[in-house]
Amino acid sequence: MAEPIVRVRNLHKCFGRLHVLRDISFEVFPREVVCIIGRSGSGKSTFLRCINFLEEPTAGEIEVAGNSVSAGTHGKERQEKIRQIRTSAGMVFQSFNLFPHMSVIENIIEGPVTVKGMGQAKAIEIGEKFLAHVGLMEKRDEYPARLSGGQQQRVAIARALTMEPAVMLFDEPTSALDPELIGEVLTVMKDLAREGTTMIVVTHEMGFAREVADRVVFMDGGAIVEDSPPEVMFTHPEHENTRQFLERILQGAEERHGKQTE
Amino acid sequence: MSITTAPIPHDDMAEAEVKRLARKQSAFATWVAVVFGVILVLIFAFFVFTGFDTSFLFSVCTSSGGQVCEAGVGPNGVIQVGSLSITWSGWLFFIMAGIPMTLFISVLSILLAVFLALLGALGRLSKNPLLFGPATFYISLFRGVPLLVQIFIWYLALPQIKIPGLFPDGVIIPPVPAGVLALGACYGAYMTETFRAGIQSIRKGQTEAALALGMSNRQVLMRVILPQALRVVIPPIGNEFITMTKDSSLVSTMSVWELLYRASKIGRQYFRSFETLIIAALFYWIMTIILQFLQSKLEARMARGDR
Repeated sequence: MAEPIVRVRNLHKCFGRLHVLRDISFEVFPREVVCIIGRSGSGKSTFLRCINFLEEPTAGEIEVAGNSVSAGTHGKERQEKIRQIRTSAGMVFQSFNLFPHMSVIENIIEGPVTVKGMGQAKAIEIGEKFLAHVGLMEKRDEYPARLSGGQQQRVAIARALTMEPAVMLFDEPTSALDPELIGEVLTVMKDLAREGTTMIVVTHEMGFAREVADRVVFMDGGAIVEDSPPEVMFTHPEHENTRQFLERILQGAEERHGKQTE
Repeated sequence: MSITTAPIPHDDMAEAEVKRLARKQSAFATWVAVVFGVILVLIFAFFVFTGFDTSFLFSVCTSSGGQVCEAGVGPNGVIQVGSLSITWSGWLFFIMAGIPMTLFISVLSILLAVFLALLGALGRLSKNPLLFGPATFYISLFRGVPLLVQIFIWYLALPQIKIPGLFPDGVIIPPVPAGVLALGACYGAYMTETFRAGIQSIRKGQTEAALALGMSNRQVLMRVILPQALRVVIPPIGNEFITMTKDSSLVSTMSVWELLYRASKIGRQYFRSFETLIIAALFYWIMTIILQFLQSKLEARMARGDR
C-alpha cells in the first residue's frame, strides 16, 4: 500500500484542564475519503483543526504530505513545516470564511499568489478552472456578501482547491447552511470524491458518509471508538456507543422528514 | 445574502396610509427647521440688544478719503494688526482667512494620529512585551496629560533640551509643526483603542482561513485583517477629525494664524472681542455642520459596502 498522506500519532489536546483529544492515531491514504462522525463535543472538529495546526496539539506527532511536526517543539524550521502542511491541506470551514473585501476570483487566487508566489495570470487560470468546477463561473466578479450560503461554500471549496492541496479538510461544511442549500455543496463534494480527491470530512450528513466515504470514523469522548467502512458502520457497528449514536441520529432525521411531509 | 425588496402595498388603503405617514414626517422636519430658525433669531436679537455691533457685517468700507469705519476697521478699509496690514473689507473676512490654516493643521494632525494609532493598536495586540509595553505607556501618558500642556511642552519646553551635535541650540520646533505633533500624538493615543477594537472586530474565522491557506502572520495582517479593519474605523476617524478641528484652536496659543488666533487678535486690538469671538465660534460651528454632513454621507457609503 502507498504511503499515507496524513498520519497522526498519539495526538492529545487539552484546553486548560479539559482533555478533549485522547491518544488519537490515524492515517489517511491517497484517494481515500474519510468521514468523521460523532456527537457535538466529541472532539471531531478539534481533531481536524489539529491536523493543520489551527489548534496546537498538546502532545503527539502530525505528518501531512511528508512534513512531520511534533507537539511541544519550537523554532523557525517548525514554523516553516507548519506552513508547508497548511499549503498541502486545503481547509473548508463551517462558516465559509471568505474574505469579504475581495471578489470571488480575488478570494480564490489569494492563496496561490500570496503564499506560493504564483503569477497572477497563472493563478487566475487555475482558479477559473476550479470555479467552473463548482459551477460558479458567472459569479467570478461578485463579492461574497452577494452570494447565498451554498454559493459561498462552493467558492470556499474552489479557494481551497486552487492551492492544489494533497488533502482536503472539511469542517462541518453544511452545518451553517439552510436545508435547501445543503444539496448543492454535497454534490460538489461528491464530485471531488469521485475524482479521487483525498478528503477528511467532519459531518453530520449520514447519507453523505454512507454514500461517499471509504471509511467512517466514530469519535466519542475525544477518542476514536470505531473506524470501519460505511457498510459495516451503518449496518452492524461494533460498539454499543456507536449504535446508540446512529440510532438517535436516524430517528432525528426521520422525525424531521415526517414533519416536512405533514 | 440576497437583497429582497419589501412588498409594495397595492391596495388604495395602504397607499393612502403610506402617503399620510410621509406627510406627517415632512411636516415634522419643517417644524424642526422653524424652531431652529426661531432659536437663531432669538440668540441674534439677544446679542444685538446686549451690545453686539453688527455694522461690520453689513457696511462695506471703501478706501476713499480717510474714512474710518465704525466697526473698528482701520483707515482706508485696512486692518492694522501689528506691522501687518490687511486690505479686506471687514473682520469677517479677516477671521475667515484662518479657516485654511485650521483645516491644514487638522488634516496633517489626523494623518499623524492615524499612523500612530495603527502602530499603537498593533503594539497593544502584540504578545511581545517589548511592543506591548511602549504602546501601553504611550497611550497612558498622552491620554493622561491635558492637550494644552502637551502643546506647551512641544513648543515651550523642548527648546531647553540641548543635544550636542544634533540640537546644540535646543530642540526648537516652529509653531505649526509643534501643533501638528501635539495634536497628532494626543489624538493618536485616543484613537489607538478605536483601532484596536476595529482590528478585534474582524471575526476569528478570517484569520483562520488565511492561516489555513498557509499565510504568515504578517501576510494575514496585511492582506486580510487591516483592509477590513480600516473600513471599520473610517467612520470613527471622521468623528475624531471633527473634534480635532475644534481642538486645533488650542494651537492659537502659539501664535499660529488660525481661526481663533485671528479672532482674538483683532478682538483685543479694537476691544471688540465679543463680536470677533462670536464670529470665530460661528465659523467653527459651520465647519462642524459641514463636516458632520460629509461624515454621515461617508458612513452611509461604508454601510452600503460589500460586507
